[in-house]
Amino acid sequence: MNAIDGTVRQVKTDDTPPPSLLAIVLDTNPHAWAHLSSTLPLSSAIANLLVFINAHLASGNANEVAVIASHSRRAQWLYPTPKGPISHHPSSNGDANGDIEMNGVSHPNGSTTTTTPAKENANKYRPFSTVENAILSNLSNLLSSTTESDLASTPTTLIGGALSLALTHIAKSTLLHSPVDPLASDNPLSALADSESVARTQRIPLTSRILIISVSGDLANQYIPVMNSIFAAQRKRIPIDILKLAGDTVLLQQASDATGGVYMKPERPEGLLQYLMMAFLPDAVARRSLVMPSAGGVDFRAACFCHRKVVDIGYVCSVCLSIFCEPNLPGNLCLTCGSYLSLRAAQTATPALVARKKKKRKRVAGTDSATPSGTPAATTPMHP
Amino acid sequence: MSASSSQALEYLELLPRQTHTKLYEQPSTVLAVFRCMLPHLAKSIVMAMLYMPSPFPAADLDAWFRPEAKKEKEKALSVLDQLHIIVHRVDASRQVSYELYKGFQRSLRHALEGSGTHGSFGVPASQPDPNKVDVAFLDDYARKQWENILFYMVGSTVGLATSGALGQDVGTGTKQLLKMGDFVKVVNGRVNITQAGFSFVLQDTNAQVWSLLIVYLRNAAALGMSETDVLSFLFMLGSLELGQDYTTSTLSPTQLKLLEDLSQFGIIYRSSDDAPTFYPTRLATTLTSDASALSASQSLSTSLATTHTDTTAKGFIIIETNYRLYAYTSSLLQIAVLSLFTKLTTRHPNLVSGKLTKESITRAVSLGISSAQIISYLTAHAHPQMQKQQPFLPPTVMDQIRLWEYEGERMEISTGYLIKEFATEGEYRDVAGYAESLGVLVWRNDSKRVFFVDRIEQVSAYLSRKNRAG
Repeated sequence: MNAIDGTVRQVKTDDTPPPSLLAIVLDTNPHAWAHLSSTLPLSSAIANLLVFINAHLASGNANEVAVIASHSRRAQWLYPTPKGPISHHPSSNGDANGDIEMNGVSHPNGSTTTTTPAKENANKYRPFSTVENAILSNLSNLLSSTTESDLASTPTTLIGGALSLALTHIAKSTLLHSPVDPLASDNPLSALADSESVARTQRIPLTSRILIISVSGDLANQYIPVMNSIFAAQRKRIPIDILKLAGDTVLLQQASDATGGVYMKPERPEGLLQYLMMAFLPDAVARRSLVMPSAGGVDFRAACFCHRKVVDIGYVCSVCLSIFCEPNLPGNLCLTCGSYLSLRAAQTATPALVARKKKKRKRVAGTDSATPSGTPAATTPMHP
Repeated sequence: MSASSSQALEYLELLPRQTHTKLYEQPSTVLAVFRCMLPHLAKSIVMAMLYMPSPFPAADLDAWFRPEAKKEKEKALSVLDQLHIIVHRVDASRQVSYELYKGFQRSLRHALEGSGTHGSFGVPASQPDPNKVDVAFLDDYARKQWENILFYMVGSTVGLATSGALGQDVGTGTKQLLKMGDFVKVVNGRVNITQAGFSFVLQDTNAQVWSLLIVYLRNAAALGMSETDVLSFLFMLGSLELGQDYTTSTLSPTQLKLLEDLSQFGIIYRSSDDAPTFYPTRLATTLTSDASALSASQSLSTSLATTHTDTTAKGFIIIETNYRLYAYTSSLLQIAVLSLFTKLTTRHPNLVSGKLTKESITRAVSLGISSAQIISYLTAHAHPQMQKQQPFLPPTVMDQIRLWEYEGERMEISTGYLIKEFATEGEYRDVAGYAESLGVLVWRNDSKRVFFVDRIEQVSAYLSRKNRAG
């Protein structure tokens, strides 16, 4: 009879890995892709990406994918196609051109069978082809709707917006996936205490991660939105993986480091598919038993709030912890919170320079986690 | 991996290399094997190697895995090895490296890229079907056919066989298959369910389908079909789209024959026996997907096994800590299954209520149902209200069900002989003592002068010697 005490009550040992949602943020910055075109043209990158998406979908029966293009001036859904009125540009007659090009893309080994989205392809698994068709048509819409003035106005990409889109999508899917939310009905407030309630439910239905395929260099102008997204992801335990095909930014390194994601900057972008398959395909469950690449030395410098420059030494508002690169604030008021802030006093005193620690700092609220330790002490706001 | 796919995996692993080679020619098969047969880490390994230009050195593979995950790695590799997916290669300098089996690699690439001209993902009918059927109809059809089969099996045992039309129109082929799979026994024209049959009935639908299909596969050769043909057709079915009609013109004769049998099971639907098209039902399209992974919304087992109302679609059984059971169902089949281990007392239009009693559980156990099966059935069909707790079922009830089963196991059966009616106390003590010293004595009762032995030869020889001497 004693044997019964040892019985495991949890009969249903479900060793199936949970379905995983992969949100891909594809940097479609035309300037950066133009630079890359000799080694890895966008079309073949997309072809590789599609194979990777299929591989992800095949790895788990309930796996999901979402693709967001972070374009030069806006972030655009590629998959799933957003419902409701999509802004159809009058230049949609450019579709035909884009379609032919894209069809060639979808068959990397050269067998270009012309597939229209409506027709069934017996050589292709249905779920794969629906995703592919949606991505390709949305992407060609996006590219054909890009005007020259868009290109001229900015050389960079809207990664912050795309990241927030990815996070919102993940949050929504997670909610939709949890079949019974035991706390929601009992206590409507529990939805507010997000991470706690997730931890308490036994069945976490969806594991999510974000993959940013980035080609753009300087992203410091979006320091604040991106940082906010990073902290949101950190709180929700969503790893952000970075595949940096070109350029270099401090920001994305910090993103993968803070959220425990993979950071990779391949030397040869041509081998994109192999990098994707090997380093970015394993989901959270598989990663527990694999050694994943990560950024070696992470640059923890922050960007200032006034000119979006990455600063070694900056000035910090003592009320809201905003960072500024120069002490001459208009009217001695903090640009962010508006409190009185005179930084000139700090300027005269030689700042005590402490050697920057290379140590990772995990959880520090607000943006100050990224400030170097050698920040000069800002004077407390004193009213005249 | 769910229970269902592990069954299929066991079957696949036992196939010889040649069969695997032939199977891997179809991209749909390869994709299905990849999707549902492989352990999670094995998938990562396969994908890492899929586009690798050179063989994967074993040392690199070791470096890729964390040291503490060695066991999982070995497990994944052994499965890959058994399914003949990877090849070990030892080069001149004795370096071991792994390589994907060429056919597998090619087909998986085809499947992911959508390239090639294999057409193995089903060729949709070119002409629109004049009498097209919708998904709801297919679901209904599949459910009815499948419930028929189940009802045919349980019906007679629970004494409901004559009460409805259910279970009557099961095809002879299906009946034969059930007999071949040892799920039912026909004694004097009465269908009796076997122990294997009980575990079959209590599985989730996906696993049931696979069990039946595996029986089918085992006997495919006897029916004059090629095993690989049948298997690759089944895997193709798993990749089809629900609600789409597919043409039969590209199928081989074996597959056409298979089609007839499958429509008997409700796995596919054809408007008539010689229709040029067929529709896969949900039973088919979920063949290669994990029902357990979808336990939330669209699980086949729940969508099929319950009544149409939405409230019951996610599970219908409520058990209280006082062993009372309420099942919101009006399906005869479910009531029949429940009655295998429950003492049902009242029946309302959409609700049956009863109680789990010692008697009902021990009866079930004596029929060959294990407590684990009962518990997993109850868990799988727990009402959403029950699913709010963790574990779903009250622990007291789970423990008690197990205790009741153990209680049955406390009885040890030993065949043997009862020796009684001794004339005197001395004679009884003498013979019993002798039996005890031989080690054949199982039980004795001194006051009644009886004892029980499991072997009699020596004792009877001793007795006859005693008689002759006396």
